[in-house]
Formats: sequence, C-alpha cells, structure tokens
Amino acid sequence: MFDLDPGDELALIVDTARKLAETELTPRMRESEAARAVDAGLLAAWDEVGLAALELPERHDGAGLGCVARVLVNEELAAGDAGAALALDPFGPALTTLLEVGGDDAVTALTSALDHGASRAILVIVDAVDVSADTLTLDAAWVPADEAGAVVVLAGSDAFLVTEGISLERVRGAGLRAAGAARLELEGASIAGRWTDAAGAERARARARLHAASLLLGVMRSACDFSTAYSQEREAFGKPIGHHQALAFLMVDMRMALDAARLLVHEAAWRVDRALPCAAEAAAAWAECIEASRLIGPNGVQVLGGHGFMADYPVEKHMRESRALGLLFGGYDAAIEEAGQRLVETDTPLDLGQSGAL
Amino acid sequence: MEFAIDAAMRERIEEAREVGQREIRPAGLEADRNAAPIPVGDPFFDRCLERGEGRTRWAGPNAPKSKPRKSNVILSLLLAEELAYWDRGVINATPGPGLPEQSVIGMGTDEQKERFLGPFLEPDKPRWACFGMTEPGAGSDAAAIRTLARRDGDHWILNGAKCFIGAASRSDWLLIQATVDPSKGRAAQRAFLVEQGTPGLGGFKIEKKMGLKAYESTSFTLEDVRLPASNLLGGEERYERKAGFKAAMQTFNAGRPVIAANAVGIARAALDESIRFARETDLLGRDRVRDRIEAIARKVRKARLICLRAGWLADQQRANIIEASMSKAMAAQVAQEAASMGLELLGLVGGRGDHLIEKLYRDAKAMDIVEGTGQIQRMIIARQLVGLPR
Ligand SMILES: Cc1cc2nc3c(=O)[nH]c(=O)nc-3n(C[C@H](O)[C@H](O)[C@H](O)COP(=O)(O)OP(=O)(O)OC[C@H]3O[C@@H](n4cnc5c(N)ncnc54)[C@H](O)[C@@H]3O)c2cc1C
Repeated sequence: MFDLDPGDELALIVDTARKLAETELTPRMRESEAARAVDAGLLAAWDEVGLAALELPERHDGAGLGCVARVLVNEELAAGDAGAALALDPFGPALTTLLEVGGDDAVTALTSALDHGASRAILVIVDAVDVSADTLTLDAAWVPADEAGAVVVLAGSDAFLVTEGISLERVRGAGLRAAGAARLELEGASIAGRWTDAAGAERARARARLHAASLLLGVMRSACDFSTAYSQEREAFGKPIGHHQALAFLMVDMRMALDAARLLVHEAAWRVDRALPCAAEAAAAWAECIEASRLIGPNGVQVLGGHGFMADYPVEKHMRESRALGLLFGGYDAAIEEAGQRLVETDTPLDLGQSGAL
Repeated sequence: MEFAIDAAMRERIEEAREVGQREIRPAGLEADRNAAPIPVGDPFFDRCLERGEGRTRWAGPNAPKSKPRKSNVILSLLLAEELAYWDRGVINATPGPGLPEQSVIGMGTDEQKERFLGPFLEPDKPRWACFGMTEPGAGSDAAAIRTLARRDGDHWILNGAKCFIGAASRSDWLLIQATVDPSKGRAAQRAFLVEQGTPGLGGFKIEKKMGLKAYESTSFTLEDVRLPASNLLGGEERYERKAGFKAAMQTFNAGRPVIAANAVGIARAALDESIRFARETDLLGRDRVRDRIEAIARKVRKARLICLRAGWLADQQRANIIEASMSKAMAAQVAQEAASMGLELLGLVGGRGDHLIEKLYRDAKAMDIVEGTGQIQRMIIARQLVGLPR
C-alpha cells in the first residue's frame, strides 16, 4: 500500500541524525566553515551515534541499509550543515558506486584503503576517462574535500578505485567548506581496482545523484525553515513580514517546491531499494532538486532582506551551498539528459500501475 | 522611435569601459579575495580623484544661478550598467558625497551646502559621505525607524542605531534619518548632518557580507549625539512644511533605475563570462549550453530596455513610478538568474569559489534588497496597477 511513513526502525535513525544535526552540526556551522574541517568533538559525537557506514553491508560490519535510509539521514544532516555531513561520512557515494559496480571485492578494496588512517573517499563521475595500461588521468575542477584516502571514478560502465597519486590543490570553494575544497588531479595514478557492470553503473549514478539530492533537500529545508520562522518574528508595516501576502506566497512557493522535490527523491530511492528501474527517476529527482534550489536559495536570503546578505545569519550560506551542491555529479544538464533519454524509450512512460510502481 | 545611442554617449561609455577593465574589475576581485573593503588609504582612491571622480555635482557657492541643466538619466543609466559590469561593489566604494548628495543639494540651506559639499568641490583627499536610514529593527518600513531626535535648546540630541550603511566609518559626515516622535511615522522624521568624530557617534562594525565586499556596509550607534540646530537638513522651517520623510524617499526614488542598471551590468558580465567559458571549453556547439546563453542574453536585453524606459520617462519629465519599480524588480531578478545559469554552465568550475560568475552570483543578490526590496517594488506597482491599499 502507498505509505509515506518510514517505519519505526528508520524513524529512530532519522531522529538520531536530526538530533545530531541540531545539537552539534548547526551550532558549529560557521566554525567548521572557517576551519575547512569538522572538529574532534564533532567527530566524537558522530562516532557515538553510529551513523557511519550506513550502506556498508552487514558482512562488512556495516549497517547494511538502503537508499531510502541514506536520503532520509542525509536530509537531516545537511539541514544542520551540508559541508559537515560530507566531512563526517568517510565513504559517501563512493561506497555505493563500488557496491553496485564491483560488489563485495570492490567494497573490501575501499574499506581497506581507508583503514590506513586516510580519511575520506571521493566520488567523481565523468563521461569518459583517460586510462592507459593500469593508470588513470583525470582533472576535476572542484571536489568538496581537502584530503582523500581514495578516489572512485565512475565512467560509463566502469568504476575505478585509486588510492595513490591523489593530488588535491586547495581552492576557496563556493560552499561546503567544512568538507574542504580542492581541484583533484590524477596524473597517471595507478589503478587499484577496476570493475565493469553497465546495469550496476546505472544504479550507481542514480544513488550518487540521490545522495547529493538529499543533501540539497536538507539545505533547502533549512533555508525554508529559517526564513519562515524569521518571518513570524520580524515586523514591518505593523505586522510580521510573513503576514504580508507578497512574502507569504513566496514562502509557500518555496515550501511547495521543497515538498515536491523531496517526494521525487523518496520515490526514486524506494525504487533503488526495490531493484526497480531507477535511473530516469533519480536523474529527474536530482534535476527537480536543483530547480527548486534556484528558487529557494536566493529567496531564503530575500525573506531576511539586508540581514540575509550578512554572515550573521545562515541563509547566505544556504544560498551558496545549495547552488554549489547542484553542480556535483554532472549537475542539471547531465540529469535532464539522462531523464529525457529514458523517457522517450516508451510511449506512455507514466502509465499508472506499470510493474507495480507509480 | 529611436533605440540608438549617440556618439557622445558612446564616448563616455568607452571611457568607463577603459577604467572598468583596467582598475575596477581587478580592485573588485582583490577585495573579494581579501573578504574586506578596499582600505581608506588605498592608492586606488587617489587614482579615482585624479580621474576627476569623488567630486560633488553641486556647482559651488559663487556659481551663477543658471537654469538647471537638461537631465540625461539615460546616460547615467548606461554608465551605471557599464561600471557595474566591471564591478558593482567597487562603484559603491568610490569616494564622493554619494547617496545623500542629492538631498543636500535639493534641501540643504546655502550654509549647509557650503559646509558639507564644499570639501567635495576640489577634494584634497578621498572623502566620503553616507546616508543612514536603515536600522536593525526597520528597513523596508522606513516610517518605523526609532532613532530619536530630541530638541534641547538650540541643539538636537540623537539616540539610536543604524545598520548596513555604506561607507559609514570612513565618511566625513553622515546624513542620519531620525524621528522626533516614533508614534507619528513619516511626518515626525528629520534628517541630520552628523560629522564624523561627533561625541556619541561610534561602535562602527563593518558587516561580513556575502558579496559586494569592496565597499563597507557598517552598523553603528548614536548615543546622546549633540548637534547644533544648524545641522538639521534644510533648517527648521522646512519641517514646518512637513517635508522630512519625503526628503529621504526622494533619494530612493532617483536610485531605483540606477540599481536596475547596475543589475543589468552584473547580468551582462555573467553572460560574457559564460560565453567566454563555453568558447574556451568547446561547449558552444552544445544545444543545452547555447540555449542557456540565449536565455541569459534575452533576459539582459529585456531588463536593459525596461530600465532605459524608466530613464527615458524621467528625462521627459513624465511619471515613471511603475516603470522605475518594474525596472528594479525585474533587473535584480535577471541578474540573479543570469549568474545562477552561468554557474550551471561552469559545472564543477563554479564550485571552486574563484570564478567571476561565482562572485557575481553573490553580488547580484543585494540588487533585490537595497533601495526597496523586490517585494516593496511590487507593492508600489500594485498600488498603481490594481489600487492595492496601503
Ligand atoms: C549591501 C547593502 C547595502 C546597504 N546600504 C544601505 C545604506 O547605505 N543606507 C541605508 O540606509 N540602508 C542600506 N541598506 C539597507 C537596505 O536598504 C535594507 O536592507 C532594505 O531596505 C531592506 O530592509 P531590511 O533589511 O530591514 O529588511 P526587512 O524590511 O526586514 O524585510 C524583510 C523581508 O520582508 C519583506 N517585506 C517587508 N515589508 C513587506 C511588505 N509590506 N510586503 C511584502 N514583503 C515585505 C522584504 O521584501 C524582505 O523580503 C543596505 C543593505 C544592503 C544589503
């Protein structure tokens, strides 16, 4: 039956993530941004709640949860601080990529690479990659990281794991600075593992997009919540600014955009977990999130007027970070390309009841 | 009908372009990297003076009373676009009597013009002035400001707080909007000329802004600031004729199409940078990229025309309330969208935080906030269009 409740077990996990975000991530948001890192206290709090290794299979001592769990948790964490959410998670969508394309072996290769004290794995998605013999060359203008113990490259049907020769040159970063910001260069870096699976790669791309999309949902939710709450407190012309229709309806449009994007993300994530076709749906959900962020990011600032333009409030950070997040993993263009391509493969793509899914 | 601009205008635009490219753009990028306003002693400001900037439009005490020159708002809008194309923040950092100049010229007594604008006739060094209306508790609703002006014999005593005031800490004097009775709204407002260094004026805090970092936006407090009656703009009689609030709003009125033109400049910069990037990376052949560039270009053109219409009406001495507000409401949004689309075109390069379009994306946001937010502009239009009640 159609049911939007996450179920008790997942609700508990989501609640844990929300509490962590509220008590640890949000209060340190500016600190983490300035430090380009999360501090030891935050890392300790993170370790305590056990949200790491969410999708790592149980046989690898992980929680073995799926995509729905991931998107729900990501939204909560990113509502606190999207940069910190990236910084705290050592695997990110690099893990699901290897899981989908390479399976157990690939996951083992990744976990053991990160064991050696190195912090995070970075996922880069490209159309094609320059491979010769057993080395790989790649230049990514921006990754939200200052350091990486492993790089996973998803190109076409191939997933590559690189653990050595990773060069990261720091840049300022438009946002998400808590996770760092760098240009990533692999110059003939030796390939530690290569796996090929067309269907797996498709699912991997879907999961990566949903990963980023759910972080974006969190940032947008924060922008909506913060500005809406502010609009009840701040008065102009004798009443709360939120009671002026010109502003009220803008906030209503922001909320509608957020809710609709979230449902698309959830449905696509559910498809991933049920092993249903999910590529077009995930791409569409990602595109919808990016579209929503074009509205919500700048207007979160707008609701606060001049105050929104100042670093004293979080909405300017939401505006920058929602825009930056939307550039990851091929961004909008690659997403609508993929969603559109799949759409034209059938005549009636949105028929009700096909294969039991909407 | 004529959509061309004449040779004299083109020449002025050419001059602005030359300075923009050589001086303004680099100064803006550097301020953004430093995340701090261009410092007061920076040689950039000396060069501004050398170019003849930083001076008042007031003709001086002994100027013959000539007929006012024919206005050329169109030219000022074209220049506002061109200069903001190179850097909107740096334009606001430029020395001069700035926002309050028009109020002092229009309403000041002869003595006030001489005292406050005189030093800007042939400035010996970069000098600034600023206009302080906004307060922590009141921005859009300018009638609700709380800075209190109390009469004390032949003096006035000011108490209150202001925020986001451009160039406040470096200004020779500040035109401060205050009220003699907060319960009486606009009618009770007065504008005061407060000299820097007057005891009680202090607590300057330069805000950390998302964009437009080249100029300072500053908060400060007024604690028992004691002013001679001669510092009341226009003198006492003026207010007996109830001109207080209107004086301030006049400053804003003149500003709307200028802000709109600034926004058009920002949008055009985003367009050009997008094309440059697409060309350099061989993306111009892709439909999706070209569609986006076409959309940005169309937005820039419509915003520019809407903006010039407001200016043309002003030059014709015809009412332009709707058009002025429309220009600002539209152009501000166009600037935001153009920069946002440009960032998408850059892809990961946009995330690096060191590309001009990324800066434009942050700078543009203020265009929908300053001198009447987009919502306020829509209210103004709606009052005219559908009789929206106040
Ligand atoms: C970079 C920068 C430079 C500035 N420089 C100066 C300066 O030099 N001098 C100066 O005096 N001020 C300056 N300001 C202040 C600026 O004029 C105010 O920020 C602006 O007027 C908005 O006021 P506010 O910030 O208090 O927002 P608010 O008035 O609190 O508005 C908050 C939100 O409520 C909305 N709102 C308010 N009333 C209504 C309504 N009736 N209907 C619908 N929506 C409504 C607004 O549109 C906005 O979205 C500057 C601001 C910035 C960002």
